[in-house]
Amino acid sequence: MTAQRVVIVGGGTAGWMTAAALAKLLPGRCTVHLVESEAIGIVGVGEATLPHIRAFNERLGIAEADFMAATRATFKLGIEFRDWGRQGDSYIHPFGTFGPGGAAIDFHQFWLRLRQSGAAVPDLDRFSMACTMARMNRFALPTADPHQLTGSFGYAYQFDATLFGPYLRTIAERMGAKRTEGRIVAVNRDGESGDILSIQLESGEVIEGDLFVDCSGFISLLLGKTLEEPFEDWSKWLPADRAVAMPCRTEGAVTPFTSAIAMPAGWRWRIPLQHRTGNGYVYSSAFTSDDEAADALARVVEGEPIASPRVLRFVAGRRARSWVHNCVGIGLASGFLEPLESTSIYLIQAAITALLELFPDKEISAVDRDEFNRLIDLEYDRIRDFLILHYHATERADTPFWDYVRTMPIPNSLAEKLELFRRRGRVVKYREGVFLDASWIAVYLGQRVIPEGHDMRADAPPAESLIAGMRKLGADIEGIAAVMEDHAAYLKRYCPMKEAA
Amino acid sequence: MTAAPIRDVVVAGGGLLGWSAAAALRRKLPALRVTVLSLAPPPDALVERIASTLPSIVEFHGDIGLDNREVLLRAGCGLRLGTEFDGWNGDRAAYVHAYDRYGQPFGTASFHIHWVREAKLGSTPPFDSYSPAAAMARAGRFVLPEADPASPLAHFGFGLALDPVAYPQMLRAYALHLGAVERPGGLAGVQLRGADGFIEALTLDDGSLLAADLFVDCTGPRALLRGTLDQAFEDWSQWIPCDRLLFADAPASADPSPLDRCIAHDAGWRWVAEGRVRTSHGLAYASADLDDDQAADLLRRAAGIAPDAPVGIRQGRRPEPWLRNCVAIGDAATMVEPLEWTNLHLAHNAIDRLVAMMPDRDCAAVELWDYNRQCAAETDRVRDFLALHYAASSRDAPLWRRLRETAPPTSLAHTLRLFAERGRMPFYEEETFTRDSWLAVLLGQGVIPRRTDPLIDVVPRLESERAMAALREGIDRLVPKLPTQAEFLNILQRQAVR
Repeated sequence: MTAQRVVIVGGGTAGWMTAAALAKLLPGRCTVHLVESEAIGIVGVGEATLPHIRAFNERLGIAEADFMAATRATFKLGIEFRDWGRQGDSYIHPFGTFGPGGAAIDFHQFWLRLRQSGAAVPDLDRFSMACTMARMNRFALPTADPHQLTGSFGYAYQFDATLFGPYLRTIAERMGAKRTEGRIVAVNRDGESGDILSIQLESGEVIEGDLFVDCSGFISLLLGKTLEEPFEDWSKWLPADRAVAMPCRTEGAVTPFTSAIAMPAGWRWRIPLQHRTGNGYVYSSAFTSDDEAADALARVVEGEPIASPRVLRFVAGRRARSWVHNCVGIGLASGFLEPLESTSIYLIQAAITALLELFPDKEISAVDRDEFNRLIDLEYDRIRDFLILHYHATERADTPFWDYVRTMPIPNSLAEKLELFRRRGRVVKYREGVFLDASWIAVYLGQRVIPEGHDMRADAPPAESLIAGMRKLGADIEGIAAVMEDHAAYLKRYCPMKEAA
Repeated sequence: MTAAPIRDVVVAGGGLLGWSAAAALRRKLPALRVTVLSLAPPPDALVERIASTLPSIVEFHGDIGLDNREVLLRAGCGLRLGTEFDGWNGDRAAYVHAYDRYGQPFGTASFHIHWVREAKLGSTPPFDSYSPAAAMARAGRFVLPEADPASPLAHFGFGLALDPVAYPQMLRAYALHLGAVERPGGLAGVQLRGADGFIEALTLDDGSLLAADLFVDCTGPRALLRGTLDQAFEDWSQWIPCDRLLFADAPASADPSPLDRCIAHDAGWRWVAEGRVRTSHGLAYASADLDDDQAADLLRRAAGIAPDAPVGIRQGRRPEPWLRNCVAIGDAATMVEPLEWTNLHLAHNAIDRLVAMMPDRDCAAVELWDYNRQCAAETDRVRDFLALHYAASSRDAPLWRRLRETAPPTSLAHTLRLFAERGRMPFYEEETFTRDSWLAVLLGQGVIPRRTDPLIDVVPRLESERAMAALREGIDRLVPKLPTQAEFLNILQRQAVR
């Protein structure tokens, strides 16, 4: 069998992640040729990740400490949301469970029962290992058994996305991937089938391929521009369409979590890396201007700005299909969801995993393509609902933006989930999907979606033993976190970045 | 505003299902008062009649606080490791569906990809020779799964072969012990509340009323309670064809086999399931292709005894098993032919769901929606799994040809398309059968993927062959040393005495 020629268009995070994975895992089956232009530059906003990235790195044989040092990474135990339900509110969406994992009845049901009976019970955060570590600025790697508190959390990374691409490039090139520098000026298609035959560079060079992966970013050069796959616009639910980014020197703590802080017309991120802190304001241009947004961000960021503000434009939504003909869109070329829950790199990874598992023959079968598109749709749809929840579950009416999202119509799939939770704290169960029960619970309760009742099974144990059990659990969690190393100290010992020369 | 909590529950149905529901409710939700209207189960309630069960019954017992050793020793239950399917796949050898891991993943691909590559390029022993439980079942051996995950005997589950008399009695005693109240008598009518159509009370044949907040209908296919609310039904007979069943009980064998047998015939299939108190024989058939006399004759010749009167079934499910304050469980909610023994399994899961999702007295639409959604997702995939046995068969007879030519349900079509193309199993929520179970049937029936997954390219064939041979040898060495079912039960008995 002759190897298939895979041509990757674009060399940002999506492009190099794809190149490294294909070169490493399907050697012999395909050759990898990546085309990028240094003149175009990358978006590279997605600096915070989800725990799934660890499986990706492991599959590529990446050593954690080496990767973290190279990308100046920090650990991430969850996301702090400030001022979302009401101004002054703060909660953490943790990577991990409330209480120890694997229980038949979700921990928050017992917590709800006690609260509803009028007992003085601490906030739910206190029963999460990840939340407690985050608040105390501690870190340790989790142990293997999820039933133990020390194994009840997961973690991800916050890293410099502009360094992740080059890091993966080294791996990809070592595995035999080829790179060409140049701007694409034409895309040639088969007149009959409509498949892409080749791309032509400014230099005149023509690069032929069997399978094209579009990692060109928002411009969606192949999937959108050439193949004209329609874009499904979700901005009526996710109205943010701009972001202004402004990295700063770190003045506050190097927190083991990302912060998402509500702003008058959106929200801003704070992502601490080893050498700087990433900041950006995601906003809706219908509710504020670029200048206003940049000023608002400049007023609140800590530390001295390292770069002048840079504005990005986008629309929330996705292409109707991500794989059309012999072209697979990965990353921003296939769709965009704002980085509120750090899903950008996750979506890239999900697409790569699906492509690996559904890697086609030279003669592409519709079976592979349809299944790929089904899987990607599922990922996008579920994340979409989860993101909308953050905006919609608010009591804020202090700016026109918050009043709009608070009162906007939401998809039925989300309305049902919300109503079900309001009844007795039940989460619609999925066994697969990026955000599982604990994530939904954290956001619901953190944004004041308070259930009226609780699971009747939680009534079985006597109240006194529950209260005593919770007291012990809280103390155990705090005790475990208290002896953990400080996050910054851990980084210094484990994966210090090389000082800039 | 929260409505008042449910306090009074009436379970209608006095068979093993009604008592199982009552026991689970009392055990998990002790605040409920549970009354069982102990109507005798009708002969067409398959949940009550089919002795073979899936491994989930063992979990169900554990969950409601029943000790499985006690169940084995006191309620006459036998043990079962799987089912052999004979004659379903043309000229191919019979295959075993055991509740076990088939092979072990190694290198970069799941085990079945290695098997498929070998099967396509050369020859390899059948897929089921890589399952320790399938080998145990064939050899008539049994042990409990081991705790050490490194053991080849750590990954299988086992079902039970129920004693039709002792088992319901035990559950009745257990439910009463937990505080359920028995109300003997017959059902004369169902009274609906004018305002919202909820069931207000049952009228009993002595004229008395039995009121409750919630009614659990375990009365069998006629759904005596739930059926008064609506008659909506989704018919599945185009995909799973048997609408008649015959039962014949023979004396038990001295050392019953833990392997049930399902043998295809031109108009359906028949089964042999050896329990400790009897050997159950049965025949499932489509009445359009075989009349009752011919069917009785067929079973009599196979089993050596005359069957009982035939039982008619209508395969399909209620779109909404839970409507207002009445939830149908078991045959009242879903009826499928007993192929793969899912009848009681679906009922157990419905009970678990009912306990976990107990709403308030107003039975809010959103909560019922979630219950019905989960039931539907689960039941539809069971339907798919049963339909697969027919859709992927190469048997040559009018009924079988007809079924092969019928377009499968969308979700099964999707599974078949993806698997036949490249050996991939799509993920579905609420799946009853594991990936390995699906693979056992797909590959056992001869659905061989057209392509070999490229992820396996980096593992040389020689490496696959070696690893596969080592797996087979391990199983061959292990199995002959294990006790037979009778020997195993004797050991259990002796341990209990000590």
